[in-house]
Amino acid sequence: MSGTQKIGMFTYDVKNGLGLIDYNIDDHEFAHIIVDIKKCDECSHMMCVWGCPAQCYNFRDQGLKQMKFQYEDCIECGTCFIMCDQGAVSWNHPRGGFGITYSQG
Amino acid sequence: MDEETDFDAIVIGAGFAGAATAFQLLKEGIEGDRILVVDRGEPIGGKNMTGGILWGRELDAFKEYLGNWEMDCPGIERCINHKKVGFLNNEDAIFIEGRFASWDGTGGTEEPSQRSAWSVLRAKTDAWLAEKMEEAGIFVMAGIKIDQLNINDLDHTSYNARDLTDPDKDSGVGKAQKWKVDSLPRELVDKIRNGTISGIVQDGEVMTCKVVVIAEGSNSILTRAYHFDRMLHAQSKDDMLLGIKEVIHLGKERIDERFNCFPGDEERPPSGMAMELALSLYREMSQDAWEKYPNTKGQYPRCGGFFYTNEETVSCGIIVQLKSLPEGLHTYDLYQAFKAQPAIAALIEGGEVIEYGGHLCPEYGLHRMPHRFTRDGAVVVGDAAGLVFANGMQIQGMNNALHSGKLAGAAIARCIANGDVSAAALDATYTKALKKSYIFRDLKRFKPATKFLNHPGNFTWVPELIGKTANRVFREIGEEKFSAEKVLLKTRKELRKRNKSNKKGMNIFGIMRLGLLGRKL
Ligand SMILES: Cc1cc2nc3c(=O)[nH]c(=O)nc-3n(C[C@H](O)[C@H](O)[C@H](O)COP(=O)(O)OP(=O)(O)OC[C@H]3O[C@@H](n4cnc5c(N)ncnc54)[C@H](O)[C@@H]3O)c2cc1C
Ligand code: SF4
Ligand code: SF4
Repeated sequence: MSGTQKIGMFTYDVKNGLGLIDYNIDDHEFAHIIVDIKKCDECSHMMCVWGCPAQCYNFRDQGLKQMKFQYEDCIECGTCFIMCDQGAVSWNHPRGGFGITYSQG
Repeated sequence: MDEETDFDAIVIGAGFAGAATAFQLLKEGIEGDRILVVDRGEPIGGKNMTGGILWGRELDAFKEYLGNWEMDCPGIERCINHKKVGFLNNEDAIFIEGRFASWDGTGGTEEPSQRSAWSVLRAKTDAWLAEKMEEAGIFVMAGIKIDQLNINDLDHTSYNARDLTDPDKDSGVGKAQKWKVDSLPRELVDKIRNGTISGIVQDGEVMTCKVVVIAEGSNSILTRAYHFDRMLHAQSKDDMLLGIKEVIHLGKERIDERFNCFPGDEERPPSGMAMELALSLYREMSQDAWEKYPNTKGQYPRCGGFFYTNEETVSCGIIVQLKSLPEGLHTYDLYQAFKAQPAIAALIEGGEVIEYGGHLCPEYGLHRMPHRFTRDGAVVVGDAAGLVFANGMQIQGMNNALHSGKLAGAAIARCIANGDVSAAALDATYTKALKKSYIFRDLKRFKPATKFLNHPGNFTWVPELIGKTANRVFREIGEEKFSAEKVLLKTRKELRKRNKSNKKGMNIFGIMRLGLLGRKL
């Protein structure tokens, strides 16, 4: 999925920013966020999509018919858990030692 | 010594709140090997992000463990003596700027001369604090996430930690949402929510203690799951801020030059600039979004910008009030639009982005605090308890986290000494001290200010009006000049014509009301 966006004079890709973060991605069976994508079909607002600063949620905004969620790029901010009021998001921190590590903060 | 429990206190989270609690416990005479601090980050600090300016000198209280933290801590970057407030629209930028000799701790005679504002980078600071905790003899465990607490007379295997954050099969929507824990047997739920907490569960193993300190920060899963805060059951984006920030490397010399900073010497740390900005950058983006997603038509995202100088880098970011985010606008685009504003672009020109990050920050205010800060055998501190003072422009969370940690540490040591760690005893010490502290006083006093700063005008026409008026007053393009007052009135008229919400917001009463609210700042 291309995340290239255009703002005024310049284009950028949010995924470039994510490339700067150190990730240790856990196996699928331990994914820290689980989205019940069936519930998304009925969702009128997709607030997870708009809120997520790491573009982990791709849906109708990208021309997709079905929600495509990737926990791999997650920066563990917690926004999607707050934004989804449809009971589709099960959220927790990644297991100890997994997920992101900031070097600056 | 009493060895019935593995530890006297277990602190979950080694952020500012957790570290302060641990150091305070030590200071009160609890032995280091009776204090355990666990954090999910490895190294510690790796999960943490802030704006951020650390206000005040709370760390002085731990001099005996931290030494000269101003000079020695690698994450304490620059001493802020230069503060700017800005109003940005897509083209114009107006700044109000102050330089204060007394903030340097070297000059100034009228105001207390003291260094009391610092730019910080949390990954480095928290790792250093963890090191100091270990040096002081405290048990510190990194890379461990706690998702279950141990409760007396409750077998922790009788429910799954994930039940606490999993929506129920038939979860319902909006405020009626239900979680798996709601469908567990009544008796079990009662114990989870009201039993006596007596330790943590880690990988199926129980570690016991007298008091658990929940210092888990803004994603307060445990606080909500264990019912300090009823809000798990109505997940809500009200009163939550999302911060998106980049750390951009410019190099020390370039920063000293570009921002007129003192470079620092043996005794004095380098000085720096802190800037907060009111933004009206999103008019066009919002209007485009409304066309595609009419559900949230008329809604502008309420964002504030911040820009802080670190030693080698700058922290550049925005804070978004999640409630105000309209459909059709990605938060990362809001950040990029901020970065592209000409005045901001000029400040980071030639820099290299070295980190991108996002983090939540509670903005609860008094009306939306957890309904209790203690349970039998446990307390919550810092962001987990929502102890942040935020007014849309400035955030004070780190000093509050440190302060609440101190109060908790002192209270817990006293309760342990008295042999009573019940909720009532902890309330009589910790909660009482908290409510008397400057944290609560600030929150109370600034309620009206919050009203002013959240006023929609501040995110739309106010920065536009200020920017445009100044643009015209300051400029000479060979046309007849008018007095500033006339230009202001003319600009107001133009902006009012431009759209309906301006027309309404900028009527005389609207402006007066905003002015009156502004007095309370
Ligand atoms: C963008 C942004 C800008 C900000 N700007 C400022 C500012 O300028 N000035 C200011 O004073 N404040 C600012 N704040 C607020 C400030 O960052 C917080 O208030 C402060 O960090 C809170 O400290 P804390 O110790 O409570 O939580 P945190 O610093 O978040 O620490 C929580 C710790 O707990 C750990 N943890 C969490 N859950 C678990 C678990 N289950 N098991 C084990 N460990 C766990 C985490 O790894 C983390 O180390 C800002 C916040 C944001 C998001
Ligand atoms: S807000 Fe919830 S239901 Fe809607 S699209 Fe996002 S995850 Fe799905
Ligand atoms: S936690 Fe934050 S980064 Fe991760 S998926 Fe949710 S919104 Fe995106």
